[in-house]
Amino acid sequence: MRLLLVEDEIDIQRFLLTSLEEAGYQVEAAVDGRAAERLAVDGQFDILIVDLGLPDQDGISLILKLRQLGVRAPVLILSARRSVDDRVRGLEQGGDDYLTKPFALAELLARLRNLLKRNSPSSTEATRLQVLDLELDLLRREATRSGQLLQLTTQEFVLLEYLCRNAGRVVTRSMILDQVWGMRIQPDTNVVDVHIYRLRGKVDGLGQQPLIRTLRGVGYVLKDR
Amino acid sequence: MFSRTVKPVMRSAAWRISLWATLAFACGTIMVFIFLHRFVAGDIQRRSDAWLSGEVEVLGDVAERTPKDALHDRVVGEVAELAGKEVPNRQISESNSNDSVFFLQTGGDGSLQLWVGAGEGAPALKAIQALSIVSDHPTDLHVQGFGVPFRVASIRLNDGSYIYLGLSERDELRVLRSLRLQFFLLWLLLVLFEFGIVFFTTRRMLSHVRRIAEAASGIGHSDLTARVPTTGERDEVSHLALTLNRMLDRIESSMHQLHTITDSLAHDLRSPLTAIRGKLEMSLSAGMPAEQAEPIVSAIEELDRLTDFLNKSLDVAEAKADALRLNRISLDLDELLRIMIDLYEPSMSEKGLQIRLHSGGPLAIVADEALIHRMIANLFDNELKHLPAGCAVSLRLKAENGAASLILEDDGPGFDAEVSSHLFERRVKGKESNGHGLGLAFVDAVVRAHGGAVSARNRECGGAQIAVTLPLSALDPRSAAIHSAH
Repeated sequence: MRLLLVEDEIDIQRFLLTSLEEAGYQVEAAVDGRAAERLAVDGQFDILIVDLGLPDQDGISLILKLRQLGVRAPVLILSARRSVDDRVRGLEQGGDDYLTKPFALAELLARLRNLLKRNSPSSTEATRLQVLDLELDLLRREATRSGQLLQLTTQEFVLLEYLCRNAGRVVTRSMILDQVWGMRIQPDTNVVDVHIYRLRGKVDGLGQQPLIRTLRGVGYVLKDR
Repeated sequence: MFSRTVKPVMRSAAWRISLWATLAFACGTIMVFIFLHRFVAGDIQRRSDAWLSGEVEVLGDVAERTPKDALHDRVVGEVAELAGKEVPNRQISESNSNDSVFFLQTGGDGSLQLWVGAGEGAPALKAIQALSIVSDHPTDLHVQGFGVPFRVASIRLNDGSYIYLGLSERDELRVLRSLRLQFFLLWLLLVLFEFGIVFFTTRRMLSHVRRIAEAASGIGHSDLTARVPTTGERDEVSHLALTLNRMLDRIESSMHQLHTITDSLAHDLRSPLTAIRGKLEMSLSAGMPAEQAEPIVSAIEELDRLTDFLNKSLDVAEAKADALRLNRISLDLDELLRIMIDLYEPSMSEKGLQIRLHSGGPLAIVADEALIHRMIANLFDNELKHLPAGCAVSLRLKAENGAASLILEDDGPGFDAEVSSHLFERRVKGKESNGHGLGLAFVDAVVRAHGGAVSARNRECGGAQIAVTLPLSALDPRSAAIHSAH
């Protein structure tokens, strides 16, 4: 996967570069709009990360210009601004995504994956998910662990489904809030954790291998190995 | 382009101003006319009196000098008839007979001697005797059988007989009547004309004011770039528009400054926060022993709290300055609360708290979804952090007077007495609180930015109550201005 990273803050660019390469992307980096334009037109990129506050031009203008130049790859917009302006919403509706700074790396990677998935020809939607001995029947909304039916509420099922779809990858609290409850909030209480504890109580029974792991300061991961 | 609420004409100020101006004008012109009418009527009477006095003297002279023979009556009669043809203001009568003048001579004993005029002389004589006219000065006389009074002058002859000359006031009254009629028509025309002129000029003037008011009220939280329309003229209204526009320039510039400050502050703080967080996360490699990971993890958590604090502080600062940028969409408050409760319920029951929603069903409001989410999360976080175990939180949602009313009550210890008077201010928190004191200030800021209101108090039966009202729809500011104008 070829990724173009347009970010003028050297510190941020450096750690993003490293972690993106660790995550398996081939990354090229640009520090301003002009360099980004040149790179984007020449190279075939699968996905772009564009910071809104570039030194020579506005990130949105750059994206619009690239679109005119025929660059079709989806864009993850990074914004340090306080409010999301209408043009970002427009791009969001057009299939792009945005992330406000500061962000968790896990969330950045998850959003990149989502963008790529959205833009690739969709495989037939699975009706079953399986992670180790955990099985989810998406049609009947039923989950079983080692063949034992789990008594889950609707919300717990949605949460577990989200974890299963991201099995083996870290999901943050704000990702869970966004994807499962549909809200971008930052509660200063442990609301998400309690949901996870409850779910864990039902999924990881006595004597079973614990599947849901907590990564403190980062989020949660559903083990797939 | 935009739907303007059409005001009933009769309720506009232009209508009232025109009515009063027209009333004053109409009264004034009537008074002038009354004065003129009296002047004209007096003048006409003076003329006919002069004629009467002159003629009656001439007739008296003729009657005295003419020998008292068989021809006397005829001579006097003809002279009288001739005189009758020279009547001032005379109208050509439909009948040939001259009914506007009569001549009457009485004998010394008061009997009717000579009568020249229409009809019989007896009623006239009766009327004269009833009035007992003695003076030379002409007086009014009502004769039976005539609708209009006569003006009668008299003279006493040497032989003790009297001569009376009567002139009908019919012509005089007719002149005045036609004068009145013409005046009335002219007056009506003038009054209507004046009303029209006043109404249209004031309406035109006031429509400028209304357009200014509409434009000014349309310039709200989100749009400060618009300006009120100015007219090319150099009158008070255009002065008002120019002053408003200058004021808006200043407001826009300070608002812009505020946004620039908060944006660059946010940017300047967030960029290093991003870099620090990223580096911390990267150093948190898999398989690291817990005791090494612990300080890094807690640093990340501190960083996230700092970010949250930064966001809330800036939001509250902007909202206090009425500069919070809203992205309004239609959302169902009932559904939103149910999802929120679903999210918070496990944490609450974990702490031994109960939460219950009493709602009258779907309730759509037009609001910024993200801000409303955060506002309600703040309220719930507040309850979660401060209520002791065993308490219950109740939420009541209903539509009331065009607004959504959300009342949050608990049966906990309530607000500290010392902070309860300024709960919605920044950095105000209870002694036991470990928050940063922005929660309720943020709630207040969001609700205000949406044109709602929030109040908090301690319930009499114990516990705290927070009441939030949010307008159901973002009122069209134009129609809102018109509403408030009434």
